[in-house]
Amino acid sequence: MNDQIRLVLNGAPRTLPPHQSPTTTLLDWLRAEGLTGAKEGCAEGDCGACTVVLEGADGARTPVNACLCVLGQLHGRAIRTVEGLGPQHTVPRALAEADATQCGFCTPGIVMSAWAHTREGGDPHEALAGNLCRCTGYRPILDAMARMQDDGAAPPAPMVPDSAKFGGFHLPASLDEALALRAVRPEALVLMGGTDLGLRFSEHREHPAQVLCLLNVAEMRGVEVRPTGLRIGAAASYAEWLRACRADAAWAPLVPYLARLGSRQIRGLGTVAGNLGTASPIGDALPVLLALGAVVEVAQLRGVRHIPVGEFLTGYRRNALVPEELIVAIHLPRPPEGAFLAAEKLSRRHDQDISAVSLAALITFEDGVVREARLAFGGMDATARRCAPAEAALRGRPLDDGALAGAGQALDFAPMADWRGSAEFRMEAARGLLRRLALRHAGLPAEIFA
Amino acid sequence: MTGPLFPQGGPNMGQPAPRYEGRAKVTGEARYPSDVRLPRTAHACLHLSRIGRGTIRGFDLTAARAVHGVIDILTHETVGDAIRQTPAIYQGGYTSDSLLPLGSAEIAHWGQPIAMVVAETYEAAREAAQRIVVTTAPHPSPAVDINAPGAETRALEPMMVQAGDFDAAYAAGPIRIDARYTTPAQHQNPMELFATQCVWEGDRLTVHEPSQYVNSVKFGLAEQLGVPADNIRVISTHVGGAFGAKGFLTQRTALVAIAARRLGRPVKLVATREQGFTVSGYRAETRQHVQLAATRDGRLTALRHEGWELTSRADTVAMGGASMTTRLYACPNILGRVNTVAADRSTPGFMRAPGEVPYGFALETALDELADRLGMDPVELRRVNDTQTEPVGGLPYTSRSLMRCFDVAAATFGWSGRSPRPGSMREGDWLIGWGCASAYYPAQAGNSAARVRLTADGTAHVASAGHELGQGMTTMMAQVAAEELGVPLERVTVSLGDSDLPPAVVNGGSAGTASVASAIMIACDAIRARLGVPRDAPYAALRAAVAASGLAFVEELGEARAHGRSPESLPDMYRGRALPLGGVELPDRVQFAMGAQFVELRIHRWTREIRVRRAVGAFAAGRIINPRTSHSQLLGGMIWGIGSALHEHTDIDQRNAAYTNANLADYLVPVHADISEIQAILVSEEDRLVNQAGVKGVGEIGVVGVAAAISNAVFHATGRRLRDLPIKLEHLL
Repeated sequence: MNDQIRLVLNGAPRTLPPHQSPTTTLLDWLRAEGLTGAKEGCAEGDCGACTVVLEGADGARTPVNACLCVLGQLHGRAIRTVEGLGPQHTVPRALAEADATQCGFCTPGIVMSAWAHTREGGDPHEALAGNLCRCTGYRPILDAMARMQDDGAAPPAPMVPDSAKFGGFHLPASLDEALALRAVRPEALVLMGGTDLGLRFSEHREHPAQVLCLLNVAEMRGVEVRPTGLRIGAAASYAEWLRACRADAAWAPLVPYLARLGSRQIRGLGTVAGNLGTASPIGDALPVLLALGAVVEVAQLRGVRHIPVGEFLTGYRRNALVPEELIVAIHLPRPPEGAFLAAEKLSRRHDQDISAVSLAALITFEDGVVREARLAFGGMDATARRCAPAEAALRGRPLDDGALAGAGQALDFAPMADWRGSAEFRMEAARGLLRRLALRHAGLPAEIFA
Repeated sequence: MTGPLFPQGGPNMGQPAPRYEGRAKVTGEARYPSDVRLPRTAHACLHLSRIGRGTIRGFDLTAARAVHGVIDILTHETVGDAIRQTPAIYQGGYTSDSLLPLGSAEIAHWGQPIAMVVAETYEAAREAAQRIVVTTAPHPSPAVDINAPGAETRALEPMMVQAGDFDAAYAAGPIRIDARYTTPAQHQNPMELFATQCVWEGDRLTVHEPSQYVNSVKFGLAEQLGVPADNIRVISTHVGGAFGAKGFLTQRTALVAIAARRLGRPVKLVATREQGFTVSGYRAETRQHVQLAATRDGRLTALRHEGWELTSRADTVAMGGASMTTRLYACPNILGRVNTVAADRSTPGFMRAPGEVPYGFALETALDELADRLGMDPVELRRVNDTQTEPVGGLPYTSRSLMRCFDVAAATFGWSGRSPRPGSMREGDWLIGWGCASAYYPAQAGNSAARVRLTADGTAHVASAGHELGQGMTTMMAQVAAEELGVPLERVTVSLGDSDLPPAVVNGGSAGTASVASAIMIACDAIRARLGVPRDAPYAALRAAVAASGLAFVEELGEARAHGRSPESLPDMYRGRALPLGGVELPDRVQFAMGAQFVELRIHRWTREIRVRRAVGAFAAGRIINPRTSHSQLLGGMIWGIGSALHEHTDIDQRNAAYTNANLADYLVPVHADISEIQAILVSEEDRLVNQAGVKGVGEIGVVGVAAAISNAVFHATGRRLRDLPIKLEHLL
């Protein structure tokens, strides 16, 4: 059993001293080490000035917010910072040549997001959604990114995730070990990516005596594509889920929606299980899970339960877990052949913003008319939920604008008002999102910047 | 979008030299004040008031002191009279507000610093700051905003502008517009947090702090601490964005300085993002009233613009944008008024184009309303009222290229393809809106000095206490020295951001380049005069002249006095009192940079989503020393305008004036994907009068007018006239 944090920093293996606190953030640690390229701009994962990259043994590059990672989580991981690219690297040079920096405070984080992007590809806008720049107007940064290429640098040697314990910070490597720990320490804080709970260490200065970090549990890792659907391991990040959706046409309708969930940095750390575990009412994943009829697999030493996601969430920040239980995986059933799947999000700012209203829909057909509709809304009630009257209004009708307008009239919500939207606006917007489904169903562009 | 990454120089434009410090910034090597590591540093954390106005009854520091590593806790009870009351800048002093740091048990507003913990680690300081228990007596009903019943309205008579007889002309006007507008509180939110590090060596104090004006910090701190100014050095080599937030001395600096003195070791403070919302000033919310009268062919016959601006109880601060909006268009009958509304809030301050953004939104939207009423193209309305003579005092503009900007931008945008009727342009379920507005910003300058050294090996060094805020000051300084002396650019080095260097104007008001470039030019003239080398002499001749002089180097100090400043004002520059002057404040002329903003946006028929599809701006600002960095400034400014119109809004708790969205998750600034196509065009303009350098400045004008162009485009798309910012989806229900 390891009792010292071991990681790889800019290609060099490091073993941290035994007294190193496992809940120190990566950002604070890097800066104390003299690597001041990563900056603190918010300490909450909102601005990206502290972006560093987790280097996978498979060559994958995952940008993350160093302010949200705690050192204990990073045991067995390889990290690269702006200092690890070196002054002659093509990525920073391209940014300098395009005048993609003004004050420069956000720049090291943008360099690292861009470096990850040269390997990972995809939409550069999306790659940079988690990096705020207050000076340049972004345009020169995008121009620079268009001219960058993967440096082809070799990935770090694989490190086998092993069990570790740093004081009260437990990092089990197997499900049995995790469940055994949970059984004796039901009060322990369960930590996944830390995008939510990590702030309790860094911002609120909490010192939980026991932390159970499950990122290295073999049975919880990865997203498995099965003929029946996806098995999303509890330790799998949103980025892994999104990658699986990109690789399989059945899930393609979810891709633009998941790509707007947080930022690349947040998706690299955050987990679906973490959101279910904290039962956050604003998670964008929830409407999708409800519409698809996801099942949560939970376990304790005495056995396993499979709970439909609608029953798993029991209220604001409450769920159906008993103290000894852990979430092991989320099972997402594959949409039936010929079904229509859609996910829509409306927020004040298009990217990296919490939804005002969201909608996920799974609709099956028989003889050209709707057989069954599952419509799940977020932002309309205390927690995400389906809307039976609207679903009934679609049944037996062709999925056209008239039917969807009718479903909009059947919504049974009394939404809250806050500064993201008035109650009246939310009702109108939910109706608008329903009508947008007609465009999606007809294969017409529903957004101008797809 | 295709095209060059940055524009090449046109007439009266210099070379698009790459950013001097670009490499240091992309490699992470650039050291910002919070990156400076000093041995034995103790860490500080502020504790801010969690009530609105009220009184502190007492502190319980037991739990805070019990946190391992806590060294010292400063409160009004423990600092005594270590910090002296000094006047704020609005009274001719140095500080950004009049509250004495930890001065008494009185709490003026939510978020006021009321204690500071110093500890061995930042974590311990932060934890202890959270464990401070404060007993307070809150005021039962603090005035939280500009509309609060308890807020106190005061007319600012000196800001009144009058010409002709507005009342009579308005009453007689054939076509009239009468509209009220509001703009919200907004925060600069530069990416860099408010950091301060102080270290004493004997009786000498060094301060590392991001600043737009190191000499405001130096001389203000000297007054506050009763220390000779010569004993204080303020260093601010790289600044991670400022936008007005880092212009003057805030309360935090003296606290860190006295903590470092008490402890005999360096103390470092980095205020959190949330704390930053009350550590410095911000853009105050406004209400505005505009009345226009015009003939049926669009000539303005009467123009009234009155503004109400929120301020604090402690300081009467107004940006007074009506003094400018009343002087932009030909009109015989004018009335401009400004009022402050004092509430229980922190003192507002400067935020990029402080008066121009809110007042420009109101006037330029009102003009669009007039154009619509007249059935006239809004560009043509501006053309009909264009003038080369300022309408109130009859003074000449040093130069004015407003309509050239409109014509260039309109052509690039394709404005002639606009169908004027609201709601008449569509694409599928998206309503298309096109809108435009004027941009303007006063051309200002302030007394500044620079030292240039030409060395026998043919290198030059230029030094001035100006600031690199990201705007390109360093690159500009090197370029001006290189051009004036004929030295290759790569052989010029630059020092700035240090109060030990020759003083420069506060780097605000878009005055930095004009002021410092003028000083560098004077120093270079002096060097050439001393060496007897003519202006156009080749580099080899210059080197030969230095060699022939027998000196290791030739060095000259250039002091530039701004137009409108008396000769007696030059010594003030050496006391941290170099403020910009220009615009409409001069007795003999007015000075403005001008521009035109065009926006296309789309609004979804069902969801009311608003997306800015493209923005085109054209700007004429005199000489452009570096079109590359200037272009970058303008692009960034235009994005600010988009954020200002659609996103940025500091939300105020109606119970205690707390800012409820004081973080970057909820205070929305534009992100990459908010922008599709954006184009900033530099329009050539030569102005030999405005200042020695012929520079008007581009740091702020890019923001101005964008919000009006957007609200005008929303009207064009939907027929709905929105007069309150930010524009929200629900406004379009």
